[in-house]
Amino acid sequence: MDLQKIIPYKKMSLKELLVPENKLMALIAVVLTTLFLIGVAIYLVHGHHAYAVTREHPWGLLIAMYIFFVVSSTGLCIVGSFGDVFGFKDYMVVSKRAIFGSIITILSGFAVIAFEIGHPVTMMIYNVLSPGLTSAIWWMGTLYGLYLTFMIIEFIFLMRNDMARAKIFGLIGLLVGLAAHSNLGGVFGFLNARVVSNGVFYPTYFILTAFITGIYLIFIMYGYKYRGQPFPDDVAKALTNFMKIQGLLLAILMFFETWKMLTGVYGGMPERADTIIHILHTKSFWLGEVLCGMVIPFLLILKSKGTAIKQMVWASVIGMVGIFYMRYDLVHDTQLFPMQTLKIREYQLPPSFVDYFPSTAEMMIGFGAIGICMILYFIGTKLFDLDHMPEHH
Amino acid sequence: MARYGMALDYKNCINCKACEVACKEENGVLLGADKHRIWVGVKEIEGEYPLLNIASNTFYPSQCQHCDNAPCEEVCPTHATHYDENGVVRVDPNKCILCSYCMNACPYDARYVDDRTMTVDKCNFCSDTRLARGETTTACQATCPTKVRIFGDLDDPNSEISQVLREREHFSLKPHLGTKPKLFYLM
Repeated sequence: MDLQKIIPYKKMSLKELLVPENKLMALIAVVLTTLFLIGVAIYLVHGHHAYAVTREHPWGLLIAMYIFFVVSSTGLCIVGSFGDVFGFKDYMVVSKRAIFGSIITILSGFAVIAFEIGHPVTMMIYNVLSPGLTSAIWWMGTLYGLYLTFMIIEFIFLMRNDMARAKIFGLIGLLVGLAAHSNLGGVFGFLNARVVSNGVFYPTYFILTAFITGIYLIFIMYGYKYRGQPFPDDVAKALTNFMKIQGLLLAILMFFETWKMLTGVYGGMPERADTIIHILHTKSFWLGEVLCGMVIPFLLILKSKGTAIKQMVWASVIGMVGIFYMRYDLVHDTQLFPMQTLKIREYQLPPSFVDYFPSTAEMMIGFGAIGICMILYFIGTKLFDLDHMPEHH
Repeated sequence: MARYGMALDYKNCINCKACEVACKEENGVLLGADKHRIWVGVKEIEGEYPLLNIASNTFYPSQCQHCDNAPCEEVCPTHATHYDENGVVRVDPNKCILCSYCMNACPYDARYVDDRTMTVDKCNFCSDTRLARGETTTACQATCPTKVRIFGDLDDPNSEISQVLREREHFSLKPHLGTKPKLFYLM
């Protein structure tokens, strides 16, 4: 079987493939991947005991990192779809790179979740044999599996410059991806017992922040590719447009967050108001989510009227730090309020918010997966032509 | 088929924790495992001597509420959590993938990870042990020295639990969530 006939790629020797284009980035990628592997080894020896998750806080950093990666994937899928699905010519130039990015980010997410789920093989068997159709996790997992398939098919057609078929599979992939991603928000939104997360907010917020994440990542990818040199005109045009869209999206996000917090605190409803006030006293919310994730990039966009695309690359790196905090906080905040029914005043201990800080193994696997993503990206950029689109389709 | 539930005459509880010991013995809960399957919640006396609020000092025995509309069952992606023929909420360890969604969804913090199987576990009204042997009581009920617990079939109008629930006022926990718990606290 000739792989070249299925998906066109640049033929090169293994040595050529593995020689790094940028030694520093290659080193970072290798170190992170090594940490991932060490983390996995610790997990394989100690099982879930290697993680700092508890009965009261069963979801930790790995769930947050899984969400971080799949949000990135959905975001890049949305960004990529502008050109190849919706046919906006100005954005066509980023489609291949964005769709490739969406594939590698979701693969990295799967790499993380494989070591969070206690029994991944059992999951694959019983997801099919006894599907829990009322479970948002079932829908999210199943739809993400389908989404990955459609993204790969779309990417193959993109590589073949078969834009008509790429458009069909891109549209299906986008719709399935949006359904999967809002279901991931639903995983939290359906938790009736967790009043800070319950409701419509997260399923919609996830789509909005995915779009924002996709734009941050497209800036980072192009910023890295054209480091130390100006962007070509077509890329600059797409990025300028994306920067303006990002301004609007960040404004909407700040608006959403403001009202989430106001409605959460208003009236002092037990459980909800206490938790929101606790969140409003954390540095990770103000410095991580608000300052890094929203305000710094937003101010740059406002100040430059959406034209400072080179500075926006760095603002996007800061923005991604903020996005990480958004993912980590949403997982942690959901579990902040103790559910300990009738055991909240035991042995003079006053009721307190549930504590969690990730273990070393969790950090190795969670952050190490960024290395996997980087390695896949570097290999992909060598193997595939991610820049040139056909003039007519 | 029955619809099992439990009424708790919680004001009779003396916090001797015999129920926890009996549960561990009967259901093979690991030694040292705290608040697995059942527990007694303690509300200590509030106030400063001599103005102590004696009424605030209560013991609340608790466990899985075996909800008729259980959030844990709804969120399970593989149907590992299910209702058995007696309305008892059960976990099939062969199907459990340890995604922990049920632990997050349970409003009563009734679920824990069994370190031996690395699957989620909780009270199952002794369905694998005493009820399977044909007995009609749970271990916690049988051992309680002050007869706090009344276990039985809610669908049988002549069962002790049905009679008690007809005759005495009672409440259930977090009823606003619509989970319809089958654990009733007698007032």
